[in-house]
Amino acid sequence: MEVSVIGSSQANILKTDLACRELGLLSFKNGSRVSWGKSQISFGRSCGLRNSGVRLTLKAVQTEAIRPQKISRPQSHGVRLYVGLPLDAVSYCNAVNHAKAIAAGLKALKLLGVEGVELPIWWGVVEKEAMGKYDWSGYLALVEMVHKVGLKLHVSLCFHGSKHAKIPLPEWVIKIGEQNPSIFFTDRTGQQYKECLSLAVDEVPVLEGKTPVEVYNDFCESFKSSFSSFIGSTIDGISMGLGPDGELRYPSHQGLSRSSKVPGVGEFQCYDKSMLALLKEHGETTGNPLWGLGGPHDAPAYDASPSSNSFFKDDGGSWESPYGDFFLSWYSSLLVRHADRLLSLASSAFGDSEVAIYSKVPLVHQWYKTRSHPAELTAGFYNTQNRDGYEVIAEMFAQHSCKMILPGMDLSDEGQLQEGLSSPEQLLGQIWSACKKHGVEVSGENSSDAVAHGGFEQIRKHLSGEDAAHSFFYQRMGAYFFSPEHFPSFTQLVRNMKQPQMHTDDLLSEEEKAKEPVAATSESGIQMQTA
Amino acid sequence: MSSAVSTEPLLHRSFREISRPRFRSSTLRPSPPPASLSCAPKSPSFRHARRRCASGSGPRRGGWGGAGAGALLRVRASSSGAAVVEALESADVLFQEAFPLQRTETAKGKIFVRLDQGKDGQNWQLTVGCTLAGKWILHWGISHVDDVGSEWDQPPAEMRPPGSIPIKDYAIETPLQKSSTSMDGDEVYEVNISIKSNSNIAAINFVLKDEESGSWYQHRGRDFKVPLMDSLQDDSNIVGSKRGFDLWPGALGQLSNILLKGEASDYKDKDASTDLEASKQEVRCLEGFYVEQPIVKVVSIRNSVNISVKICPKTAKTLVYLETDLPRDVIVHWGVCRDDSKKWEIPAAPYPPETEIFKNKALRTLLQPKEQGNGFWGSFALDEEFVGFLFVLKLKEEDVWLNCMGEDFYIPVSSTRSSSLIRQKESDSTETSGKTMETNTEVSSTAYTDDIINEIRNLVSDISSEKSRKTKTKEAQESILQEIEKLAAEAYSIFRSSLPTFSAEAVLEQEALEPPPHICSGTGTGFEILCQGFNWESNKSGRWYKELMEKASQLASLGFTVVWLPPPTDSVSPEGYMPRDLYNLNSRYGTIDELKDLVKKFHEVNIRVLGDVVLNHRCAQYQNQNGIWNIFGGRLNWDDRAVVADDPHFQVGRGNKSSGDNFHAAPNIDHSQDFVRKDLKEWLHWLRSEIGYDGWRLDFVRGFWGGYVKDYLDASEPYFAVGEYWDSLSYTYGEMDHNQDAHRQRIIDWINATNGTAGAFDVTTKGILHAALERCEYWRLSDQKGKPPGVVGWWPSRAVTFVENHDTGSTQGHWRFPSGKEMQGYAYILTHPGTPAVFYDHIFSHYQSEIGSLISIRNRNKIHCRSTIKITKAERDVYAAIIDDKVAMKIGPGYYEPQSGPQKWSPVLEGRDYKVWETS
Repeated sequence: MEVSVIGSSQANILKTDLACRELGLLSFKNGSRVSWGKSQISFGRSCGLRNSGVRLTLKAVQTEAIRPQKISRPQSHGVRLYVGLPLDAVSYCNAVNHAKAIAAGLKALKLLGVEGVELPIWWGVVEKEAMGKYDWSGYLALVEMVHKVGLKLHVSLCFHGSKHAKIPLPEWVIKIGEQNPSIFFTDRTGQQYKECLSLAVDEVPVLEGKTPVEVYNDFCESFKSSFSSFIGSTIDGISMGLGPDGELRYPSHQGLSRSSKVPGVGEFQCYDKSMLALLKEHGETTGNPLWGLGGPHDAPAYDASPSSNSFFKDDGGSWESPYGDFFLSWYSSLLVRHADRLLSLASSAFGDSEVAIYSKVPLVHQWYKTRSHPAELTAGFYNTQNRDGYEVIAEMFAQHSCKMILPGMDLSDEGQLQEGLSSPEQLLGQIWSACKKHGVEVSGENSSDAVAHGGFEQIRKHLSGEDAAHSFFYQRMGAYFFSPEHFPSFTQLVRNMKQPQMHTDDLLSEEEKAKEPVAATSESGIQMQTA
Repeated sequence: MSSAVSTEPLLHRSFREISRPRFRSSTLRPSPPPASLSCAPKSPSFRHARRRCASGSGPRRGGWGGAGAGALLRVRASSSGAAVVEALESADVLFQEAFPLQRTETAKGKIFVRLDQGKDGQNWQLTVGCTLAGKWILHWGISHVDDVGSEWDQPPAEMRPPGSIPIKDYAIETPLQKSSTSMDGDEVYEVNISIKSNSNIAAINFVLKDEESGSWYQHRGRDFKVPLMDSLQDDSNIVGSKRGFDLWPGALGQLSNILLKGEASDYKDKDASTDLEASKQEVRCLEGFYVEQPIVKVVSIRNSVNISVKICPKTAKTLVYLETDLPRDVIVHWGVCRDDSKKWEIPAAPYPPETEIFKNKALRTLLQPKEQGNGFWGSFALDEEFVGFLFVLKLKEEDVWLNCMGEDFYIPVSSTRSSSLIRQKESDSTETSGKTMETNTEVSSTAYTDDIINEIRNLVSDISSEKSRKTKTKEAQESILQEIEKLAAEAYSIFRSSLPTFSAEAVLEQEALEPPPHICSGTGTGFEILCQGFNWESNKSGRWYKELMEKASQLASLGFTVVWLPPPTDSVSPEGYMPRDLYNLNSRYGTIDELKDLVKKFHEVNIRVLGDVVLNHRCAQYQNQNGIWNIFGGRLNWDDRAVVADDPHFQVGRGNKSSGDNFHAAPNIDHSQDFVRKDLKEWLHWLRSEIGYDGWRLDFVRGFWGGYVKDYLDASEPYFAVGEYWDSLSYTYGEMDHNQDAHRQRIIDWINATNGTAGAFDVTTKGILHAALERCEYWRLSDQKGKPPGVVGWWPSRAVTFVENHDTGSTQGHWRFPSGKEMQGYAYILTHPGTPAVFYDHIFSHYQSEIGSLISIRNRNKIHCRSTIKITKAERDVYAAIIDDKVAMKIGPGYYEPQSGPQKWSPVLEGRDYKVWETS
């Protein structure tokens, strides 16, 4: 059991305005390393509640033994902040990059009171040369560094490549792709997206006789055994990469030119052989064999606006037609099934470890204010004016006890271009409420590599209040992060995020005066009457 | 005394007292806000503790060294009177140790001022005294009858008591002597000044200074003023003087509380007079009087707690015997633990007398007073199964917790463990007993790194918790923030220059991570005020060191904390900036011995000394075979490999290309050569140890890469370091650009390259001040983001602001500050964040009193290099800002008055085109 709970439990208790409060977990578990704080004398902090005749319920603690990560501060309003390490913290050659800078950075973050760091672990680095040949050395060194500084570590398993970080997929996978291009997503014009495998081949043995899911699974198992001494202690969370940039989506904006100011709608990515085969099959089984011959013929191009062709038109667009529904349900359901496969893989691989599992759902906020939400449709979310496309995803996350990372928490509607008809805030609200409905915990992330002005305010908003995100991944450490123009604002953010907490010593004297009967706090369910 | 008058000690000096180890961390958990005694750590000593733990010797080592050795004796000696003696004596001592307890206590006392008539009925005697122990100095001066304003003058020689030291031409410092009398049982320190009745002295002004703590005690934030004449404001000056003396009644020793009433009466800001004076005006003639003013002084007190652990042979229990010399009732808040986790548990009864269970989590035992009455003791019998005894101490009547360097006291009690320790200790007799504790901690599971992290965690919970933040002093956080800042700067500079490093480096890094790098500050406490202790002409007399020595006390009394001395080495040019033999410190400023004396003198008056080191270039003593001067002599007899290869004038250099700009007058040193760096590091080290320099002013750092500077600073561990990175600001068509971001970025880049180990002169601010003042364009003083436009706006803690130096001003005048407007410049830099530096020529000019006042405003309001600043006006003819919500200032001819909101502003200083306010 980790000690990070202490701070928050204090924060909890201080919420005196709540009539009844469940104290999930104070810090008296055996073996909890409480050597530094004075938490041992801060028990049953209740003076604020005393007069209001409030009942404190101490939840039975046994349940935690079964799956301790489940009870990781469910009541907490303190947000756990993780700062992303550089994407290339471990280089393509499996060496720790900028180790000195990271070492200094880690110490600075530790002093600042940040909970931990996030580390992307690349498939292309670890299993670079041949299937099943894993080299974890660079990452082990880095994890050791993090461990020594005493920070937590959130690991992101990246089954994708990154042009930005110059880290491709494993060499042997690329080689296979040269022979068999249909393992990659392909758009209408035949352009391939080579930064991750097509979800259509998830269960097709395209990788030297193994299916990608099997390969991912082996990777996870190897990770687990290599890092067993850290998992559950230093490593307290694992993100499962689900697609392009680790996000659950189609690479619908792969061909997007960076020059256009307003991002276009993107394109459907259903033109690799496997996808087309699946579509054909789907058409036949639903009795519309002709519909299964290809994607929508009237969808606009990547950079185009929704109205530039008839598919996404607000009024009478094909998306509202039976064909549109046929195609979009199929297209989006594949994405959900893909996520389902990978998350069940993750929960079976790590379910018995004391780590929480996360995955990232993108915030495709462009064109949200149109009726058809074209950008979301091409990305694989069948979410329109008429239909909620995120419920099914939240439900599936809930089934696998997976927490959802939502990026773009620094974006505000005002910051968007008018003509983009975008609304990051509304979309975030929609996904968030779907998560709330299904009991999925939400973690925040900022959209780009660094938060611009105003973004901090927005983040702060999302991290406070009733439904605050329970953790936040701040992207990302690097030169800009530590620069004089950025770092002070970040420092400010961290300090604002911290709940006002009473110092334990301050509490003591008050309690002392009260001389109230002391509640026993053993590891069983106790009810404490403080009225 | 019913109306308490608060004197505000100006604590700026105390921050520098870090030379002797202190254990302030033990008071890291201070009492809740209402407790008036602040037992929070001051930053330097705190950092001191941190530094120790960073230096790889374990966080406790320094703490226990020395204290432990004596403590063992004390344990033995003092146990004789205790009740458990028999049991203890019959057992083997498993562990014994004395832990220092550092706490602060507020000592209350009073300052009294008495005026009475001498025996002859002619002369009067003023007695100023204080009932608190301390090294008290009366800093005083007089006002003459015909004086206008609040200028001080020096009293006539016959008035000065023995031991007085003149401070320039306006004040006297006289030490208070311990008096033979005592007051209510307290010692009294006092000084007597006799006043001739026929002098034309209108008033005596003074403040009291405690040299021990560096605190100044004033009267309601102003000088004490004892009027010897009625109505200073009256126009009947001369008459008044005569009449005043004639009419003095012989009310010898009469106690008067008129002044007392005066203090309680309305405080008139507008009057240049204080209340003492105001009230005195009501009385037409001089009377003897006696007034008291309560003062508080925070004194740090060191107690100790002695622990010994033995096995009782009869019961086989472990006996922990604890005694302390704390003066008041002490509660031990304690528990035991079974394993290394240090998880508190309550042992089974029986407990010692006066024990209660606290929250089922700990026991609280009131210690018994010792028979001799000089402390308390308690003994605790523990079952064998427990490994450790954990406790913190609490003073019963106060909310003061005492712990062990921020953590619980942990006493290993398991017999096997401890006895092995003892053996270990005996076999290693060279170690001090302080080692024991260190070994203990290691054995007792908390590995060294964990300790650091734990400590960090403590700090983190400190800064992260709003509530406790209020109870912690700002200084403590500051040192954490400073460290974060430094680490961030380090990370930034590496990331920026990031050439991806590969495996070999990575491995190296792993090792480097092990003991966290020794942290040397290089940037002081943040409260420094620099004085440039020379000008371009200082070498002329040949005895500058001696001349400056005479001014040391005065500089101290003006409030300077750091002095920058001229370059000390043998030099081709008399000013010292063309160094030749680095180890020859006989220069035109004086001999090496005079220099040592000077440094010693400055240290005596609590001023740190910066050496001006020229690392960029060095003059050769000999020509090489081609007739080029690039063969060096002296102890560092480098050859042409030490000269950069691209130096156009000394091009025979065989070294690498220069890492910076070339200085054209002398061969530029190639810092990329290992032997050069090694030699220079050695040299700096030698300067530190031999001369006693505390830090560096680094000449012409534009000439070489800042990374080397970091190297040098890491090696020489200066207390403060500042680099001269001087290049041109941006001009368009001869007009200075408003945006000087590129200029300050270059300076910031350099600071970054040094990893933030050094500050830099804020050339940007000087340049912008030039333009603003010269052209009446005060809007320039706010950048696009509404911050100060110089380095100070971006990285205040590393900006050393200045108005003039030996190059820009003095007789060189390369870039002279707009003439006659210097005080506006000082009003800016001395109220603003950053570390201000004042030029010698200005200190010893008619500006002195104004500069002195600005410095005392800065000190009084505890403005430091990271103070917050809000620019409230930046228009054509006026610039105004509020600093730390405590000081408002404006410069420029335009009108500005600070808005009185919740705080009320009262003007404290006004000069030509500038004005400064304080909150009242």
